[in-house]
Amino acid sequence: MAVMLKYIIAGLVRYWLIHTEYWQTIANRVEIATPLNSWKRLIEGVYLYDHGINPYEGDSFHESPIMLIFFHFLLKYAPFVLPVLFTLVDMLTAYFLYKTSKAFVQILQSNQEKTKKTIAEDSKALLLDDTHLNEVPEYVLSVYLFNPYSVLNCVGMTTTVIHNLLVAVSLWGAASGHRLLACSFIALATHQALYPITLIVPISILLADVNKGCNKCSYIRTLLVFVVCWGFLIFISAYIMDGSYSYVYNTYGFILNVPDLKPNIGLFWYFFTEMFEHFRLLFVCAFQINALILYVVPLTLRFKKEPVLLATVLIALSTIFRSYPCIGDVGFYLALLPMWKHLFTFMQQKFIAGCAFIITSALGPTVWHLWIYSGSANANFFFGVTLSFATAQIFLITDLMFAYLKREFTLKHGSSRQVDGKPAKLVLR
Amino acid sequence: MKKTFFFCIYLFLSINILCVTGDVFKEEIFIKPLPPMHLYVNFQFITQIIGDAFEHSHLAPRSLREIMSHYQVEELHLTLTEGQWRHKQWGYPVLDAAPGAELYAWFSPNVSNVDEQWKKLSSTLSGLFCASLNFIDNHNTISPQMALWPLGAMYTNVNSTSYLRYASLPREIVCTENLTPWKKLLPCESSHGFAALLNSRLIHNTNYHSIGVHVRKTCQNEDCTDHNLEIKQTVSLVYDFKIINSVNWSFKLLFGQGLFGACPMSTSSKIYVDITSNSTVPFKLTPLPHNIARSSRGGSETIFAIYDINHDTPMINIGAKYGIDNKFLLPVSPPLHFNRYVLGYGKEFGGIVTEITNTYWAPIDIVLLENAPWWLPIQLSTLRVNGEAESNLVMKQYYSPGRSRQRPYHLELLIRLPPKSTTTVTIDFEFVFLKWQEYPPDANHGFYIGSAIISANLPTAKNYTSLPIDGVTFDSVFNASKPWYSAVFRTNGAMVSLPTPDFSMPYNVICLACTVVALAFGPLHNICTKELVLKPTGSPLSLRQKVINFFKKKKD
Repeated sequence: MAVMLKYIIAGLVRYWLIHTEYWQTIANRVEIATPLNSWKRLIEGVYLYDHGINPYEGDSFHESPIMLIFFHFLLKYAPFVLPVLFTLVDMLTAYFLYKTSKAFVQILQSNQEKTKKTIAEDSKALLLDDTHLNEVPEYVLSVYLFNPYSVLNCVGMTTTVIHNLLVAVSLWGAASGHRLLACSFIALATHQALYPITLIVPISILLADVNKGCNKCSYIRTLLVFVVCWGFLIFISAYIMDGSYSYVYNTYGFILNVPDLKPNIGLFWYFFTEMFEHFRLLFVCAFQINALILYVVPLTLRFKKEPVLLATVLIALSTIFRSYPCIGDVGFYLALLPMWKHLFTFMQQKFIAGCAFIITSALGPTVWHLWIYSGSANANFFFGVTLSFATAQIFLITDLMFAYLKREFTLKHGSSRQVDGKPAKLVLR
Repeated sequence: MKKTFFFCIYLFLSINILCVTGDVFKEEIFIKPLPPMHLYVNFQFITQIIGDAFEHSHLAPRSLREIMSHYQVEELHLTLTEGQWRHKQWGYPVLDAAPGAELYAWFSPNVSNVDEQWKKLSSTLSGLFCASLNFIDNHNTISPQMALWPLGAMYTNVNSTSYLRYASLPREIVCTENLTPWKKLLPCESSHGFAALLNSRLIHNTNYHSIGVHVRKTCQNEDCTDHNLEIKQTVSLVYDFKIINSVNWSFKLLFGQGLFGACPMSTSSKIYVDITSNSTVPFKLTPLPHNIARSSRGGSETIFAIYDINHDTPMINIGAKYGIDNKFLLPVSPPLHFNRYVLGYGKEFGGIVTEITNTYWAPIDIVLLENAPWWLPIQLSTLRVNGEAESNLVMKQYYSPGRSRQRPYHLELLIRLPPKSTTTVTIDFEFVFLKWQEYPPDANHGFYIGSAIISANLPTAKNYTSLPIDGVTFDSVFNASKPWYSAVFRTNGAMVSLPTPDFSMPYNVICLACTVVALAFGPLHNICTKELVLKPTGSPLSLRQKVINFFKKKKD
């Protein structure tokens, strides 16, 4: 009952905000709308398509052709349904996150049962009991429904709303063992934004864990299904654009090459504004490797027992380091954090990270206004705030991972910090 | 004896060459007082080469002929302008030009790569006229589909718009450096004839000055099997009586000297003064004109005073003396006038508005060409004519979206302007954040948006002074009533201020951004490669002990 009430209130808040006079301001803000997901550019692309001009000829439209066709029909036949549609999609995302966290809680309980023997005696208190675990899905739901980042993302009618739904459904599919669902939705999410491709690793591990059987066959099967789905989507998109693959340069090429330097909450824009042209290719490659490839293998090797943590961390890292992040992405991974609420006692930097989040979120729009409208500040102010926001997110994620390691250690060796009677410190070596 | 012998040889040769090649050179000045306190002076130097013999002309400049033949250019128009023509106050000029540099050309259908030839053409012209036309590149060139039409003879079975290229550089300025090579193209250069009046210190002291080169091909006969090449060099000036400090203008006041006869190479040198306004604000011309002509064109009557100058005419200083000082002309609204401005505040979003007023009693069809540079992305979905998105005033639309650093945004609209009304065309744009090396020096000066082109077929010749399409010299204007009069106008340009990054920051930005990346890399590396162990800490050392330990280590 309380859950239904939460849905209704969150839905009403989003629906009402879309109909206020502030909708246009929210939909145009740089933190919410990037060149990849903004509503304005979607309208422009659909308008060009309606008038027989190829939207991928110009520089304004960067969505996939599937999205183009979907919104073309929606805007032609039912434009009034759009606010309701975006609100419903957000509600669905919240629902799938709820289901995912429920499935995750079951996985956690079963894992805990298996490893009960290796737990040290004095850490038994740390084990999770059912009351704790049953609260987790409710927290996940509340965080996604009421956190201002996701609310503003939905009100701005950005396509990240749809992207979040796709990733949430794929996570739920993986956590409940539905291979086709997980792979097809992650292929759809990759087709839209490219960065979710890193999630195929935790999803394959999760599917192998949930579907008992030979692990290697499961991995290969997952990979095959994913590749087939993605290839099919690329082919369908080319078919929509009359057989030409020129849309690839405007979608994937745009994400990888970063030609548009519009400010956003990421690190790329000012870096590439102020960089020497000679080194552009080097730094583009360096940044994209950092965002896409660098942390996948090491983190997988470290966290292969805990694929949901791996998924959370990979989603968070790709949000921080991607080329055009927006706060909708941030809101999504913040909603995954309550699944790890048993790690919060081991986290040391919650206060700093939390304060930094609040301060930078409030300061960002202020210095943007000062730079662009008042003319009294300059680009460095907004860049500084962006850097602080990225640092706060990095602190949060690394702290979460350290907390996991500490909890593992404590579960195995007990909570005494003493070696041969002498006081000792817990260090990484 | 020897002198007369050589003179006879010279005369014989020149007559011979004249008969063989038949080149003709004419020069003309047109003067018209403009309301309220301005004076329009338009110079025209026309060289006609008979036949296609590009190599053997003795009057036409070789540099231009070589450019036309080498780059296979059919028609060329180049103007360098400073100032803005005020259509509402001054009526229409003989040839309108956009502020800055404007170049457009039609290439021959034999050309395989038009863009390459265009780049070579603009670079060569940039060297010839000392103007920075080499900045013309694919990222600021468009191919107008409806707005511009050739004035000369063209192949009929070819889609001429695919061989047309147009570029405008609103930031260019015009000065003596451009005038001097321009003058060198004339047969008499600046030593004899009307070009001697072009004293750069005085002609640049005007509200509007524009120098132009227009080359086109004309037909020799009805079937147009042979063509002539016509090179027209123009100078348009608008003097302000307040700047020259006198209402009584004269050549000495305008050009610093009188006219010492015509160029010996010209077959016709005439000065036309528009004295229609003599009835309202009377003035007296001195010396008296050689004859007066009345012209009735499109319903409006014009009276011209004509002076015929030969090369041995003594010094003539044409001037006007106004009777009463405190009378000035009232501006009469031409049938079509326009205004263009930029909307919006802040450096995030904005809009361009073009207001076109039709004061005529019947609808006029115009083509509006908006040429937005690549750093000003205009959004076609926000196009509104009189506030409506899909207006029925727009009869045809052509849009070519631009790409960053590759193509500009090109929008053409065929609009039917309702009678006696103002039509507003609005389109929104977003500001683009450029790389730090793409800003010009003095980045906060702003960026210029070029003029829009408005092409119209006007039903009336009120305030219209342009030559008809088949006319060569100015007297083709007399009684040249036609069913419609084609005109191509340029609106005023605009300026926007783009948001700038901090130019002193490259090193700092790289350091800071890489620091943040390292802040993530460090802990993640530690997490992935190390494991947690318990390390005994022991009792804390005092500061004195630490310092002693430090020096002990160093000694070892």
